[in-house]
Amino acid sequence: MCKILCKYSKTGNLKYISHLDVLRFIQRSIKRAGIKAKYSEGFNPHMKTSFGYPLSLGIESIGEYFEVDLDEKIEPEVFIKKMNAVMPKEMQILKAAYSEDGDSLMKRCAYASYLINVEADIDVSRLNEYFDQMLTQGVIFERQKKNKKNQSVTRELNTKDLITYLRADKINNNVRIMAVIKTQETGSMKVEELIKLIKDKGFEFDYYTILKVDALDKDIKEIL
Amino acid sequence: MIDIKKLDRYLLKVEKPARYVGSELNSVVKNKDIDIRFAFAFPDVYEVGMSHTGLHILYHLMNSMENVWCERVFAPWTDMEDLLRKNNIPLYGLESKDELTAFDFIGFTLQYEMSYTNVLNMLDLGNIPIRSSDRGNDMPLVIAGGPCAYNPEPLYEVIDLFVLGEAEEVLPDLLSLYSEEKKKGFDKIRFLEKAAGLEGIYVPLFYEEIYSEDGTIKERRVLNDKAAKTIKKRIIKDLDKSFYPEKSILPYIDVVHDRVVLEIFRGCTRGCRFCQAGMIYRPVRERKTDTLTAQAESLLKSTGHDEISLTSLSSGDYSCLPDLTLKLLDKYEKQNVSISLPSLRLDSMTFDIIERLQEVRKSGLTFAPEAGTQRMRDVINKNLTEEQILGPVETAFNLGWSTVKLYFMIGLPGETMEDVLGIKDLAYKIKDRFFQRPKEQIKGNLKINVSASCFVPKPFTPFQWVGQDTMDQFYEKARTLQKEIKDKKISFSYHEPKLSYLEAVFARGDRRLSKALIRAWEKGCRFDGWYDMFAFDKWMEAFRETGTDPDFYALRQRELNEVLPWDFIDLGVTKEYLMSEYKKALRTETTPDCRVKCTGCGVNYNLWGGACPHVQNIV
Repeated sequence: MCKILCKYSKTGNLKYISHLDVLRFIQRSIKRAGIKAKYSEGFNPHMKTSFGYPLSLGIESIGEYFEVDLDEKIEPEVFIKKMNAVMPKEMQILKAAYSEDGDSLMKRCAYASYLINVEADIDVSRLNEYFDQMLTQGVIFERQKKNKKNQSVTRELNTKDLITYLRADKINNNVRIMAVIKTQETGSMKVEELIKLIKDKGFEFDYYTILKVDALDKDIKEIL
Repeated sequence: MIDIKKLDRYLLKVEKPARYVGSELNSVVKNKDIDIRFAFAFPDVYEVGMSHTGLHILYHLMNSMENVWCERVFAPWTDMEDLLRKNNIPLYGLESKDELTAFDFIGFTLQYEMSYTNVLNMLDLGNIPIRSSDRGNDMPLVIAGGPCAYNPEPLYEVIDLFVLGEAEEVLPDLLSLYSEEKKKGFDKIRFLEKAAGLEGIYVPLFYEEIYSEDGTIKERRVLNDKAAKTIKKRIIKDLDKSFYPEKSILPYIDVVHDRVVLEIFRGCTRGCRFCQAGMIYRPVRERKTDTLTAQAESLLKSTGHDEISLTSLSSGDYSCLPDLTLKLLDKYEKQNVSISLPSLRLDSMTFDIIERLQEVRKSGLTFAPEAGTQRMRDVINKNLTEEQILGPVETAFNLGWSTVKLYFMIGLPGETMEDVLGIKDLAYKIKDRFFQRPKEQIKGNLKINVSASCFVPKPFTPFQWVGQDTMDQFYEKARTLQKEIKDKKISFSYHEPKLSYLEAVFARGDRRLSKALIRAWEKGCRFDGWYDMFAFDKWMEAFRETGTDPDFYALRQRELNEVLPWDFIDLGVTKEYLMSEYKKALRTETTPDCRVKCTGCGVNYNLWGGACPHVQNIV
C-alpha cells in the first residue's frame, strides 16, 4: 500500500550489533509496533525491507536508513511515533517519508560522512597537510581481498578516488576529524582504513570513537 | 563499575562483542542504590544461556520485586577471558557493568555437569575466591540451583547454599530473609543458619560425611543444630498463579532458541527409567489454555518474535493440546507467527496438529526410540512397541516427510550386542517402510540420521545404582554400529564416550570430587561440554593428582543398601519406588504411565498432599 523510507540512529552499546542483527531487530520492531508490513510470497515468507550501506561494527551512527513495504497506508509521522514507542533509546527513527520506486536504497547511499574523535595531542596542521595530500595527489594503500578461489589478492587503491572531504580540528584536548567517504559499488573505503593510514604516517594515538553522521546521495546531498 | 573506556578499546577484538554489553530490549536497569543486587549467572556462553527459559522467568520475577535488581552474567568465551585477564578487567554484570564483587548474590543455574569448571572460572574472573571458606562477610553469597543441584555435593567446597526445587517458590523467601539480615549487619554464618531453616535450602557447610574403608559413605552427620537432616524440594502448587514474565529479553544476536517460549506444563507421567527430569519435576502440573494464550499475546507484543514454542517434557501429553494449538494458529497464522512443538511423542492424534503446524515447510522429524530392541525398551520403560515407532514414521512418510532423525542410547543396563544391533535393524525397517509403499507415493530423498548417545546413570532415577559401561565398551558398541550400518540413506553418529564418562563421574559424585574439580580448573579446563575445548588428559591428571578414582563414581555398581551422596534430599519420590522400578527393569517388566494408574512413587502424599493432578486410580 505504501513504502516508507526511514532515517534512524544506532548509538551506545548498539554499535556492537552487526548489520544482519539490526535487520532482524528492525523487522521485529515493526511487528511489535503493530504495523502491517508486506511479506514475500513463498515457502518462508519474510518482511520486505531494504537497508542502506552496512555500518561497520563499532561505529555509532545518527544517519542509517531502511525502507519497508507496508500493507497499510500510514502517515510517516504516525510511523515514527509507533516505532519509537517500541524501540530502545539507542535506536530511534529520526525521520520518515513516503518513498517512490527508484534506485535501490543501497545505491542511493553513495557517500557517508563521519566524525572521528581522537583522544591524543596530535599536530593538527601536520595532519591536515597529510589530508590535503590524500585529497589532491592521493595516497596509495593496499587492501587484501579473497578472490573466488579463496586466494588472498592484494589490490592497490588511491585515497583521492575514495575520499571527497577530510579535515582535522582541535577541540579541547582532542582532535576531531571530519570525513566524507565514497560508499559505492564502484569503490568504497572503510573508516578503519583511513585510521590505519593516519597511524602509519606516524601520528600516535590509542583511543578514538567514530560517529557516522549521515549517508549522502551521489550529489553529496541529504537522502531524506 | 569497570572501566568502560578500557573495555570499549578491546571489545571489537573479540568474537561477537554483543555477548558482553547488555542493553537488550526488555532488560532491566534500576538505580544502583537498592537493597539487593543479584547476578543470575549462567555458566555457558550468552547464546546458550539466553535460550534458557528459567533465566527469563527468574530474572523478571526478581526484578518485579521493588528491593531487588537482578542482572545477568554469562561465561565469557576464551577470547574474552584472555582479554579480561590481560587487561585486569573483572567479570561484570551485563546491566550495570559493575564487577561481580559489587553484588549481594551470585546465583548459578546448574543445567549440566560439564559446566562446573565454568562456575569456578566465572567466580575467579570476578575476583571472588572460588572456595566458600575463603569468602567472608564482604563477599557476595554464591548460590546455585537447577537440575544438577539434586546432587550438589561435587560443588560443596564452592557453593554457599543450594536451592532445591522450583526457585520461583524459594527465592522470594531467601531474598526477604537476606534483606532483614542485611539491615542488622550481615553475618554470613548467621545468615546461612537462618537460611538453612527455610524449606528447600541446603547449606553444605553444616554437614560432614564419614567414609568406610571401601570408600563408600558410612554416615552423614549434621554439624549445626539449625540444619535439618533431610532437605525437601519445593514445588509450585498452582502453575496458573505462578509468576511468568509478560516480557522477555530480546537478544540482538542470534541465540540458540530465539522465540517465544510457553511452558505448557511441568513434570512427566511416562516414568522412563533413565530420565532424571521425569523424576525430579514431579508431579505433573498443567497451565490452563487461557493462561497460555494470554502469555503468548504479551510475549509476542513485547518481543516481535515470529515463532511460539510450546515446551514441556512430553508436549503430546498436554490435555488441551489440540485446543491450544488451534487457538494459537487461528490468532497468529495471519501475522506470520509459526508454532513449534518440540518433545512430541508421535501418534495419530498429534499428526493432525503437526500437519497443520507445518503446512508450509516440511522440516525434519525427530523420533526418540532410545533403544533398538523391544526388550531394551521395556527395561528402560519407554512403553513404545515397534509398531508404535514404525506406524507414525510411515504416516510421516505418507504426509511427505523424507528426513527423519532417530535418537538412541547405548550402554543401557543389561544391554547385549544383540540389543545394540537392534538399533541398526530398526533403522533398516524404517528404510523399508519408506520404499515398500507404491511407487507413485514415494516422494523426496530418504535420509535417516541415527545418533547414539552414551548412557549416563543419574541420581534420583531407578538406574542410580548402575555402573556405567566402560569407555572401551562404548567404543566397541559404537564402532560395531558404524561398521554394520552400510547404507547411503542411513547415517550414523555417536556421542563422545569420554565426555559421557566424565559426566557420569560428576553426576553421581560426592563431596570429595570438589578437589579434583578445582584442580582440573587450575589446569585450564573450562567449557568441557564444548568438544573442541574438552581436555580429557588434563582431567585425568587432575584425578591422579588429587588421589581420586573416577571409575569409583562412574563405573561402580552400587549396592542397594549403600548410602548415596544425595540420599539426604527428599524429592517426594521415595527410594523404595526407585528400587522397585530398578528391580522391575532387571525383570524386563514395564510400569504404565501414571495418568492411567498411580504407580505409587510417593510424590502425592510426600509433597503434593493428595492425589496428583491428572492421575486416576490412586494407590
